[in-house]
Amino acid sequence: MSLLAPAFLLGLLAVGLPWWLHRLSSDNPNKQKFSSLMFLEPGEPRRVLAKKVQYLLLLALRVGVLVLLALAFAEPAIWRTPQAGGDADGARLHLIVLDGSASMGYGDRWDRARAAANDVLDDIGAEDRAQIVLAGRQFEVLGPATADVASLRQTLNTAEPGLFRLEYGQLMRSIDGLIRTAELPVVLDLVTDVQATGLPTRFGELAPRRPAEIVLHDVTDGAAENWTVDSFGASTVTGELTASIRSFAADDATRTVTLSQNGREVGEQEVAVPAGGRAEVAFPALDLARGSNRVEVAVSPADDLVADDRRYLAIKRPEPRKVLVLAQNVEGRGPLFTSAALETLTTLALTADVRTTPLGDPPLLDYSFVVVTDVGLLDAAQAKAIQDYVEGGGRALLATGPRSGGLTTLPITGQALRTNPQMGARAGVAIGEVDATHPVLRGVEELRAANFTRSVNVEPAEADRVLMSLADGTPLLLERTMGAGRVLLFTSSLDREWNDLPVQPAFVPLMAGIANHLLGGAGFTSEADLGSTLASRALGFAGAQIFDPRGGAALGLGAGSEDVLLDQVGFYEVVGGGTSELVAVNFDARESDLKPVDATTLERWRGLGVRPGEQVTPVAAAAETDSVPSSIGPWLVTVLLLLVVMESLVGNWHLRIRRGVAA
Amino acid sequence: MAAGSAIPQHLLAPETLAGLANLDLVARAVVNGFLTGMHRSPFFGFSQEFAEYRAYAEGDDPRFVDWNVYARTDRTYIKRYIGETNTRLVILLDASASMGFGSGKVTKLLYGKFLAATLAYLAARQHDAVGLIVFDDKIREHRRASTRGGRLSGVLHAIDRAEPGTGTDLKVPFERFHEVEHGRGLVAVISDFYCDPDALLKSVQPLAYQGQDVILFQLLDPQELKPVLKESALIEDMESGQTMEVSPIYMSSKYRERIDAHVELMHKSALRAGADHRLVNITEPLDSVLRSYLLFRQRRG
Repeated sequence: MSLLAPAFLLGLLAVGLPWWLHRLSSDNPNKQKFSSLMFLEPGEPRRVLAKKVQYLLLLALRVGVLVLLALAFAEPAIWRTPQAGGDADGARLHLIVLDGSASMGYGDRWDRARAAANDVLDDIGAEDRAQIVLAGRQFEVLGPATADVASLRQTLNTAEPGLFRLEYGQLMRSIDGLIRTAELPVVLDLVTDVQATGLPTRFGELAPRRPAEIVLHDVTDGAAENWTVDSFGASTVTGELTASIRSFAADDATRTVTLSQNGREVGEQEVAVPAGGRAEVAFPALDLARGSNRVEVAVSPADDLVADDRRYLAIKRPEPRKVLVLAQNVEGRGPLFTSAALETLTTLALTADVRTTPLGDPPLLDYSFVVVTDVGLLDAAQAKAIQDYVEGGGRALLATGPRSGGLTTLPITGQALRTNPQMGARAGVAIGEVDATHPVLRGVEELRAANFTRSVNVEPAEADRVLMSLADGTPLLLERTMGAGRVLLFTSSLDREWNDLPVQPAFVPLMAGIANHLLGGAGFTSEADLGSTLASRALGFAGAQIFDPRGGAALGLGAGSEDVLLDQVGFYEVVGGGTSELVAVNFDARESDLKPVDATTLERWRGLGVRPGEQVTPVAAAAETDSVPSSIGPWLVTVLLLLVVMESLVGNWHLRIRRGVAA
Repeated sequence: MAAGSAIPQHLLAPETLAGLANLDLVARAVVNGFLTGMHRSPFFGFSQEFAEYRAYAEGDDPRFVDWNVYARTDRTYIKRYIGETNTRLVILLDASASMGFGSGKVTKLLYGKFLAATLAYLAARQHDAVGLIVFDDKIREHRRASTRGGRLSGVLHAIDRAEPGTGTDLKVPFERFHEVEHGRGLVAVISDFYCDPDALLKSVQPLAYQGQDVILFQLLDPQELKPVLKESALIEDMESGQTMEVSPIYMSSKYRERIDAHVELMHKSALRAGADHRLVNITEPLDSVLRSYLLFRQRRG
């Protein structure tokens, strides 16, 4: 409750007047002198007591009248949810959340999920309501909260699992919005296969931020066996194809791995996959057709999760391309190592053009991407020129070096540099964390053999993705999207001054991954993550059309947007200007691991919600933003009038006593 | 309650007397006004009309010897006038705290002082000896009865000095009187008599046996006789200081019955003790009180 005009509460000071008069009257009773008490008798004690009680009652009534008068002017109001029906005794809102991730397509899990949801609908009370939500990549609310069970069942029958991954922490954050606006206490019925890979890093993220009862409906049925192609790639150096087959089964198994190119099977191998382990399968380089080639690898026989039995890769036949390498000295070791590594990549057919500043002839747009061996050597104009090039769709690899030591912010990207104790000579540090899921680093091995003595300590911005860090946590390789282009920042040097990476075996594969990634669709291979977006302009097209793996035209995400959501696995084709590019989209390998959360963790998760049967105030009823004030002034005035009448009656009674009239 | 409208013009209401500064003046005004109205009165004795001769006795004032008769008869005779009895009047004035009560300008004590002064003046005019005892719970003034010149002035001054004191003890003045006054005479007791009638009876009876003629003037305020209370009040006893919450309904009903019964009992007790009792409402003129006194004196004289 709150007051709409609290200033009128100052009127409460008037309570002091009757109080003072009461005290005055009590302190100065009607006292008279008389000759003698000889013939007098005291008044009846009951009458005297009644008079005192009545006087106190009268005082209370008068104070009450003044208080109510002040309150009535202050306009007290209670905040109420405008919509009715939020206070039914015992009523609940059953929020039935269906796990729509790819793993729910395993066997008959989806059927069991529907059955569990139907069981929930069977058990809801007459006053209860229910709402169905499908949780996958997106949080999809399937209709409003209703007590109409028939329509809810119909909605349930139309729901199907997707191919995306579900992360439970993200799910609970998304559900908060629904709980907050709920008018009834919420029971969260989560129908899921409780995949262990879906748990967030912090367990606390599983707690609903608003009070709700958590009921977990586990639809798993015993141990699940699954074999998947969890990676598939082509060596940018040799063109050799490698596939990794992973087992999520309790027993060893032999699987057949089939390779096909543009719809034609070109290879097949038998592979023994250990229980819970991996098996590598290698195929020789393919004879690629001109343009993009659709290369697939599949594992058979098929298991209960079909979606992860196949993996796709778009491989493009190489065409000669130029790369600009900027260095202080064209004969320095930095440009030497870099150009040598790049020109080794026959699958990309790159030619390194090593130059010193200034820029401008030939123009930057003639190059597929740019390598700056030490960003410290760029002046402002050169930095601005490269920045414009990148934001216009260009790609660049920026490295640091001795000339970068005095910088506080990096040119081109503008990233802040921390106070850098590592700039001094130190004992060697190896590479620490590596994001092996990123195309740049996928398949790159033996990176940790390199030793780093110096680096530039960059403060990663929110938009930066750290692909590789040193063992002490210093970011080593970062990616940033700038406008339509992309930049990779290597915080150490490309020569041997600050590290020995250039003479390590991992250097050429790393440069191959970097080059292939910077080339994007124009590189040797082209891949994108399921659930990410694809823009034709990023592939160098203007006004191109994108077709999904089924051959249908993919629609933009919104009005005027060219971005297309990659929500299917397979090959997306970008067609425009008489040519086309392919982008391979693959299943998220984390969904292939069907191992459920252990029972203890499940119990802890349930404990994060309110206990069953515990009364929970609907959040919406307490949320002021969703409520409107309802004045209780009229009620106060009614009570005020009642008090005034009582005050008159009691006052009259009190005066009768004072006058000595028989009551 | 005020009786002013019923008072003849030649009489002065107590409120008017209260405006007079001098008690002697009050007594003269009352007595003279009273005597003026006595022209057609059946009473006698308050004139200079000759009544008889009486043989001179020791103690008589030589000024009243008729020397003409002595010359003719060689005997001393006293010339007596009508109304002259040569008696003695002792006034017992109650100056206790309760006598200080009054609902108007005149308190009971002030009225009692007027009455005492008037009686003293009237007695002096008749050549009676006048004595005075002022008391509360002890003797505060005592003037023995005497006819000597200047005695009246002393009595009046003593009356004038009387102020409300503390409690009341009627036994004290009567005992004093019994100790010092031995001759037969008149005793006028002026009090509100808030006491036990039986105790009063025990005090008065010895005087009656001694041959004293006692008259009790019981002075009460109209608020004591017919009190009017607008609301419940805390009543404080003027003598003891005790308080009591009293309701108006009691004061207008039961109290009146009790005070009337008390007055009636006082009257009966006085009669049994051989005394006269006169209830005086202090709003009534002194004239009627003097008339009661004269009737009493005539009856006893």
